[in-house]
Amino acid sequence: MFLRIEKGSAVPISRQIADQVASLCASGALQPGERLPSVRELARELAVNQNTVLRVYERLCADGLLEMRHGQGTFATANSRKGQLSAHRVRLVDELRQIARQGAGLGLTAAELHELLDEAADGLEIAPPAVVSGSNSK
Amino acid sequence: MNDAAIDLQAVGKTFRNTNVLRGVTMRVARGRTFAFLGRNAAGKTTLIRMLLGLLKRDDGSISVLGLDPQREPLALRRRIGYLAEDQMMYGWMSVGEIVRFVAPFYPTWDHEMATRYVRDFELPPKTKIKHLSKGQNVRLGLVLALAHRPELVILDDPALGLDPIMRKQFNRDLITHLQGEGRTIFYSSHLLYEVEPVADEVAILHEGRIVRQSDTETLRRQVKQFILSRETLRAVRSQLHILDERNDGDRIAVTVEGAEVVQRALSAEGAEFRMVNLNLDEIFEAYVAGRTGEDVPAAKPETELQPLS
Repeated sequence: MFLRIEKGSAVPISRQIADQVASLCASGALQPGERLPSVRELARELAVNQNTVLRVYERLCADGLLEMRHGQGTFATANSRKGQLSAHRVRLVDELRQIARQGAGLGLTAAELHELLDEAADGLEIAPPAVVSGSNSK
Repeated sequence: MNDAAIDLQAVGKTFRNTNVLRGVTMRVARGRTFAFLGRNAAGKTTLIRMLLGLLKRDDGSISVLGLDPQREPLALRRRIGYLAEDQMMYGWMSVGEIVRFVAPFYPTWDHEMATRYVRDFELPPKTKIKHLSKGQNVRLGLVLALAHRPELVILDDPALGLDPIMRKQFNRDLITHLQGEGRTIFYSSHLLYEVEPVADEVAILHEGRIVRQSDTETLRRQVKQFILSRETLRAVRSQLHILDERNDGDRIAVTVEGAEVVQRALSAEGAEFRMVNLNLDEIFEAYVAGRTGEDVPAAKPETELQPLS
């Protein structure tokens, strides 16, 4: 599991970790049933307080993304992708709103913003949703 | 219910005519990693020396692991690991020699653990101390501070002089060898962003007083910057606890405590404002170098935010 901590950021470290784990679940890089590093291992790897990592795991468990199995460790749940997509969506909408505001600040019209977003999406070849949800079953 | 590792009540200290510490009240729960922050010469080392019973207080009370350091300094020091700022060790001794030299001072010394730390910290046992690098020196100091299995470890600016790679490794050592074993860590620093990943809680010492004690997430949630107009500020000023204030033409940037309340007050006013999340360094700066009211220099057109000296 590759995570990156940005020190001195305005985003608290616990949120950085939680967001990145959630992204890994949403993108399928972390598969349902896959085991995460232990709190101790991840804390050491990131050089981050164990309590911080534990709190993040607990929160993601409460959100239904992860589950702690007694004596076995922490695992991504079967519904980690679904649940996360909606949370991700909320965040994305938030970011789009900010971008729209910046655009307005530059004097762009709504139509022009649409056009720019279309152009950006064209470059990505966004896969249709059916393929995304089916591609990760064994 | 005293499960505090460190408990200070209204502690004061004066050197000649200078009040170095004034009314310092602070509590560190057992098992926590506590970062003690302040600018250079804020009084951090003075307070640490009082915790160890090396200096006498003038006012208040101090309890460390349930003992008064002034009355029972030796009993206390056996249970504390201490790494001094810029610790000097006998340069002519080798790493292995100093470990054997220090061991008999502590009844609880665990030689096996000392040997393991020397290995884990990649210290060359036969090398003389004067030939060690700065980072190796700090780690050797840490071996000597830890091998008697202290309940409380006090570190005075341990990251000072370490490069970023060594600092990260040092943080890992703290996390694995101390937090992992449930010990209390009290460490001073002036680098907030270095402390944040590791600390459960921070206290900020400024001009001899604790200006804030809090866990880092609460601190971030409560201390934020608001950018608003002069009129809006006038309307809500009495409700704000302002730490820092900067002018830019018609707009003012204020860094406040109690951000949630302020946000609600501004929304209730129907005022236009922007709320900015701050990083811990900015928060620290607001506490120890913030300027408010009359201190704020007149706005200069064409300049952005006023840089702090």
